[in-house]
Amino acid sequence: MEATLNIPGKAINDKLLYYLDICARCGACSDACHFYVTTKEPPHAPAYRMELLRRIYRRQYTWSGKIFTKLFKTNGVGSGEFLEEFKKAAFECTGCRRCTVFCPFGIDMGAFVGLMRSMLYRAGRGNEILDMLADTAISKGEMIKELQETFAETIRNLEERLRKETGDPSFKIPVGVKGARILYVALAGEHSIIPAAKIFNKVGENWTLSLFEASNYGYFTGNIEKAKKIAERIVNEAKHLGVKTIVISECGHAYRVFKHLVPTWFSGFNFEVKSIVELVADYVREGKLEVEGKVVEEPITYHDPCQLARNGGVIEEPRMLLKLVAKDYRELTPSGEKNWCCGGGGGLVAIPELYELRMKAGKAKAEQIRRSGARIVATACENCKLQLNDLNRYYNLGLKITGVIDLVAEAI
Amino acid sequence: MSEIKPTKKLDVRGLMCPMPVVKLSSAINEVKVGEVIEVLATDPGSLTDIPAWARKTGNEVLKIDKEGNVIKFYVKRLK
Repeated sequence: MEATLNIPGKAINDKLLYYLDICARCGACSDACHFYVTTKEPPHAPAYRMELLRRIYRRQYTWSGKIFTKLFKTNGVGSGEFLEEFKKAAFECTGCRRCTVFCPFGIDMGAFVGLMRSMLYRAGRGNEILDMLADTAISKGEMIKELQETFAETIRNLEERLRKETGDPSFKIPVGVKGARILYVALAGEHSIIPAAKIFNKVGENWTLSLFEASNYGYFTGNIEKAKKIAERIVNEAKHLGVKTIVISECGHAYRVFKHLVPTWFSGFNFEVKSIVELVADYVREGKLEVEGKVVEEPITYHDPCQLARNGGVIEEPRMLLKLVAKDYRELTPSGEKNWCCGGGGGLVAIPELYELRMKAGKAKAEQIRRSGARIVATACENCKLQLNDLNRYYNLGLKITGVIDLVAEAI
Repeated sequence: MSEIKPTKKLDVRGLMCPMPVVKLSSAINEVKVGEVIEVLATDPGSLTDIPAWARKTGNEVLKIDKEGNVIKFYVKRLK
């Protein structure tokens, strides 16, 4: 089926033109891409993804691309075959930006994949599952008054359970507290609330739990308006409560969206944004939180979530925390900004038909974990955890996958 | 309310967000309009996610039951 793919005029800027022009097709990006190194399929090569975009640009904006269609390979643009290739290039990418780190010119492929997804969305060829999840989040925001009591009851039950488990009758999970210092934005599910709540209670933090989940599927769809609507629920909540800091749970893309994009989307956004990992590291540095010692006996390693490390600069904090609680911490090679992506980001873990591709794309990650000899892998991103659990089963790695904050909460 | 008779059971126990909603959005296409799916979930996040999904997709959550840590949703396909 054909569809018209267009680069919107507002996306044409110096950055786009410079990158389209300067790419030397050297292939450094292909060797760095966890998809391409296992599949060897052209649409998985970052430079080729860009070539698809370049053909549309030439056909749409240059007289030479309109006239000399064979010479500039613009004759196929608009065909069903081209569309399928373009869709594969856009949605079979985690936006990890490892290619950018290895590109001699630092071409920001992640930004272009975002543009490609938005072009597909406008052409009515976006990803239905990601779009459905974005719509569900927006719907939740619209009906929050109806859902608020259900949410409050769930939290009350959890609070009661944690009072018994911790033996602390004053244990609290505050919701809707005006004047709290921190708005903690968890994920939908108690697993991302419990460890943070234990730490907040331990240090006596003045915090309140957000009614909304941190994840933003609008960001994955390429529809920036939906991404803004999803984020706006939390921005309005933060303004209403008058908090100082928005703390994002262990979720890579949510951190990136809030740290780097949200402040540019909304005027009057005067909140500090931190990952829960950064905040807990602050507690330790400031002497507010003490851990009982190195309670993790087995060898452990850390997987850097791309959005937190490579694209967010949060590299040292999780390591500092893990070294506090672990007897045998092992580094993956490579790690930090050059770490291999696990293959689950970009919304891919939510798309069932991409399971086999995800497993292939995660091969480099599985191999580097196996080489490390670690029995436990900690990470600070929900998508990474889901993907690492799948890789664990697929490659029979025999690992335990956990969060950094979970381990700290167990050690206090 | 008369007794609800589900024609399909969807077990998403142990799955966390967003998978209960992803599985449900696929399963709803496997029943006819007017039929009901019984969804078994353990993720408390589904308590707000599934009603929000139903509203957006034009389906209906007829009833929510809780048995221990298992949450049962009865979801009717409306279109």
